[in-house]
Amino acid sequence: MRARTPLVVSAALVLIPLLVALFGPLLNLDSRPGLPYESGSGHPLGTDGLGRDVLELLLVGGRTALGMALGAVAIAYLLGGVIGLVAASTRHRWIDELLIRPLDVLLPLPSLLVISVVAVGWRASPLAITLAVAMVNVPTVARLVRAAALEAASGPVVEALRMQRESWVGIHLGYVGRAVLGPVAADVGTRITLAVFLVASVNFLGLGLSPTAPDWAVSVSRNREGLLLQPWAVLAPALMLVAFTLGFNLLADRLVHRTRRLVEVDR
Amino acid sequence: MRSYAAQRAALAILQLAALSVLVFVLTALLPGDAADMRFTETLTPDQVARLREQLGLDEPAFERFTHWFGNVLSGDLGTSLISGGPVLDIVKASVGATLVLTLATLAVVIPLAVALGILMGTRENGRLDRTLTSITLGLSAIPDFVIAVVLVALFSLKLGWLPATWVGGSLLASPALLVLPVAVLLGRTVCLLSRQVRAGTINALHADYVVQARRLGVPRRRLLLRHVLPNAAVPGVQELARTGDTLLGGVLVVEAIFAIPGFATALVDGVETRDVPVVQGLTLVLAVAALLINLGADLVCNRLVPRTELLR
Repeated sequence: MRARTPLVVSAALVLIPLLVALFGPLLNLDSRPGLPYESGSGHPLGTDGLGRDVLELLLVGGRTALGMALGAVAIAYLLGGVIGLVAASTRHRWIDELLIRPLDVLLPLPSLLVISVVAVGWRASPLAITLAVAMVNVPTVARLVRAAALEAASGPVVEALRMQRESWVGIHLGYVGRAVLGPVAADVGTRITLAVFLVASVNFLGLGLSPTAPDWAVSVSRNREGLLLQPWAVLAPALMLVAFTLGFNLLADRLVHRTRRLVEVDR
Repeated sequence: MRSYAAQRAALAILQLAALSVLVFVLTALLPGDAADMRFTETLTPDQVARLREQLGLDEPAFERFTHWFGNVLSGDLGTSLISGGPVLDIVKASVGATLVLTLATLAVVIPLAVALGILMGTRENGRLDRTLTSITLGLSAIPDFVIAVVLVALFSLKLGWLPATWVGGSLLASPALLVLPVAVLLGRTVCLLSRQVRAGTINALHADYVVQARRLGVPRRRLLLRHVLPNAAVPGVQELARTGDTLLGGVLVVEAIFAIPGFATALVDGVETRDVPVVQGLTLVLAVAALLINLGADLVCNRLVPRTELLR
């Protein structure tokens, strides 16, 4: 096994942006507006293109940047997980077909495309974007959960449990559900990274939140012309996003290596 | 082999039919339409209603769909609500730049990712492998718009070596314009792909048939090119089809940053003006392209390693 980044480092990379996003809005800096792209003079990280305090924006902007992505992954797992588990544990083949086949159609749809279409109707609505990002992820999650559950459900353990007259709920939620957790845990990390990217790209393109929102991705987009004048206005929110996704990538890498020996991770 | 191709193609046709329904439903469900969007401030509700009738927006959804789908089959994607010109013209005008951008990126990405992947895979856990793995893991965590913003600031604003935005003319005529966009698109795709090729190489190297071939004294070069590479390429090609998604997202972002008048720019414009036929047309063309890429990747994989079955 190759040397890996210590767990503390990966965890810190994830936790710092997460804590900023969670508790940042509670801190009230109450800073007065300054000139555009000012550095120093009472603003630790300077001001942005509209003269607003970068540190204050940074503390407020995490909620949408991470919240929308995390919410989308949670919804995707709730829906996709149920679909996958039901498809894998049903004894009626037609239910399995009915649940999984339609997802094959959705799979090749480019994600940003779906979201752009949603953005036509529900502009600047965080809920609509979150739901769209969730929908894009449902097919993959459902297939992953189904594959992992099938593998567990067709094994000798389930056979033994059945012979001992264990209840359906006991077998499927107790044993199969737990067996699915390994591959799921490995997938969650990469899926969160992808969701953060997707939400950030949508917001960066101006298809999501309003262009003056404090959101990290919107800040990078809005202040990019001033990168040389006042680098922190772009770099601070960008670093938050990068730290979060990098941390999750490292954690996912660690988990994949641990579970690979047990279950071949599909997609 | 032939039956696999036939089955896979049949699936693609089904997907295509379902996709067109989906694209239409998604866009038809949207609240508000172009008639509301443009004229509510200047026209009376009566006039808006008449305009809606004129644009055919008052018909029942099913009739609109059959009408639209019939036209699509005969190659007519409809008329833009904003410019009044055919959507097909907008598609034709914007497809070139996007195609050049995508192909230029792929032309660099594929050889680079395969070379890096094999390099890493054959030196599993060596120093070079560890360094490259860390770099690709780190680089793939940086959103492409962040890379783009930093590269533009550095190479065009600060150093002035490369142009920051498209100023007109053909992309092909001025390769300098392509350098930064392609560099941005390269970052994540090379990382994702090379990691897959690395994993495929390692798996293949540990497989019984390679161990046996090595024991029989097959020269290393031949072993790598003839036995390891085809198997290592499978996860790579599958990943490439999926990378299409990442790449398309990247192309959207890159076109926006460098003001390249491609598909993405047209799409974002369509979204902004709520020009439903344009969004429908562009979405359909892109979705079909994505479908074909997936189909192609699956067929190539089946050719490389004929035992792959139709995934379900």
